[in-house]
Amino acid sequence: MTHGTLKNLMGGLALLSLAVCLAAPVLHFLGRISEGSFKTTFLVASIAWFVFAAGRGFVRKAPAGREPMP
Amino acid sequence: MAERWAKLAAAMDKLYEFDREAVIPDKLQSGGKFAGLFAGEHVAATEFVIGAFFVLHGVGARDLIGGLFLGNLLAVLSWTFICAPIAVRTRLTLYWYLRKIAGPGVTVLYNILCAFLYCVLAGAMISVSATAVGLLFGIPVPKLGTVFPTSAGWVLITLALGAAFTTVAILGFAKLSRFAEIASPWIFCVFIGGAVAVLPRLGVRPDLGNLWEVATTKIWNGVAVAGQEKLGFWHVLFFAWFCNLAMHVGLSDMALFRYAKKWTYGLFTAFGVYPGHMLAWMASGVMVAAIGREMHPGLMAFEAAGIAGVAGVLLAGWTTANPTLYRAGLALQTITPNWPRWKITLIAGAVTTILACFPVFFLKLLDYVAIYGLVLMPMGAVVFAEHWIFPRLGIEQYLAEKRGWTFNGAALGVWLGTLAIAFILPLHLYFRWLPCWFIALAAYTALMAARRPR
Repeated sequence: MTHGTLKNLMGGLALLSLAVCLAAPVLHFLGRISEGSFKTTFLVASIAWFVFAAGRGFVRKAPAGREPMP
Repeated sequence: MAERWAKLAAAMDKLYEFDREAVIPDKLQSGGKFAGLFAGEHVAATEFVIGAFFVLHGVGARDLIGGLFLGNLLAVLSWTFICAPIAVRTRLTLYWYLRKIAGPGVTVLYNILCAFLYCVLAGAMISVSATAVGLLFGIPVPKLGTVFPTSAGWVLITLALGAAFTTVAILGFAKLSRFAEIASPWIFCVFIGGAVAVLPRLGVRPDLGNLWEVATTKIWNGVAVAGQEKLGFWHVLFFAWFCNLAMHVGLSDMALFRYAKKWTYGLFTAFGVYPGHMLAWMASGVMVAAIGREMHPGLMAFEAAGIAGVAGVLLAGWTTANPTLYRAGLALQTITPNWPRWKITLIAGAVTTILACFPVFFLKLLDYVAIYGLVLMPMGAVVFAEHWIFPRLGIEQYLAEKRGWTFNGAALGVWLGTLAIAFILPLHLYFRWLPCWFIALAAYTALMAARRPR
């Protein structure tokens, strides 16, 4: 697997993880999954996001530093 | 004395040397980059507190939605019509432009004040994170209205977090900044996911048929909790507008917009403020209603999203307190020119950590945000007057630079005078900045016009 393909795969998986983070509470709200299942799914998807996003190098290039703000 | 000020100014200039020159055309960034940059902004630990406070202050649902929509629109327009045009025309940071206008002595004072304000803000962020960590150890969060630390456990947690945040700010600022970039979209998911997940607990049916009824009766029901001032539409509108006052009307975002190809890029700030200062605030309002209106960001997130929610509060505090501490260190370094960066960041971290022990800073966050913007705003008015009004009235620009003044007395006087007027103005704190901006504008123009040779 080339570096580019791996990077794309990581990016796709990262976005999928984030989508799961958003889908889990919706499924809980709709009554499809229990609160416990939602929280576990959310936690696992969150860990996955950090792993894949870090692997993909999801870092935006900021034009400059910004002052701290609330 | 004058020599001392000159030394301080020279030290400060050295620190900011890297952005002294105007941005060259090759370095300009596209609109897409700005949209991407702003999209990840405005999701800080303080969002957990601000949105919840609107519920505690008894804001009604209609007032909240209308106020946030219009207030954020005014903020976007302020970036677009006040900050971005000056940045695009000068291609300078506020620091260097203010130096030309007010003199290096005033910029030293401005920087020191900024450092203190940043320390308070970072302290509030540490306090918010402490509510999450304290939950794990069963340490009670100080009640509303508390000023001083209420337990040894609270002090220990804030000291431990402050020490950890400061250490990272010293050792790994760049790495944590990269980590913050990754954490930002996820933290936004914690807000949205947490709010959606607690809707059944508030009685919202899956078909959303009673969503508005629940919103108006159980969340933003217009009833303030005991001891909290009742806020309405205008308070929310002004809060959303001035929440980043130092950045738009105060012009500190010139540092960003000097890279913009066009001033209209100011409109891209909408990608940041509407998700962060509308959706995230509304989400934290939903979450606080679900825990019985208790100001406890850690508990709020834990009840809504479990361990991931607690991690969200902790990381939101950490990733936003880190650059704040770094900036505070940078600003303070001006008065200790021979000190290494680690030492001054350590001092800033120590001050911040001590401040974080006092719950008043996060429990009075709305008022602090108002004061933060108000204190820095007059300098924005001074720069605005010098940039736009002086050429039209034939008043000579940049006298401080041309005549080598350390202090432009008019700028300093207007700054202090405006703050004095703001202090006594018989208006709600949230509304004071607007008349004061016009007062500062008129006063500075009049004072500098009076100096014209006849």
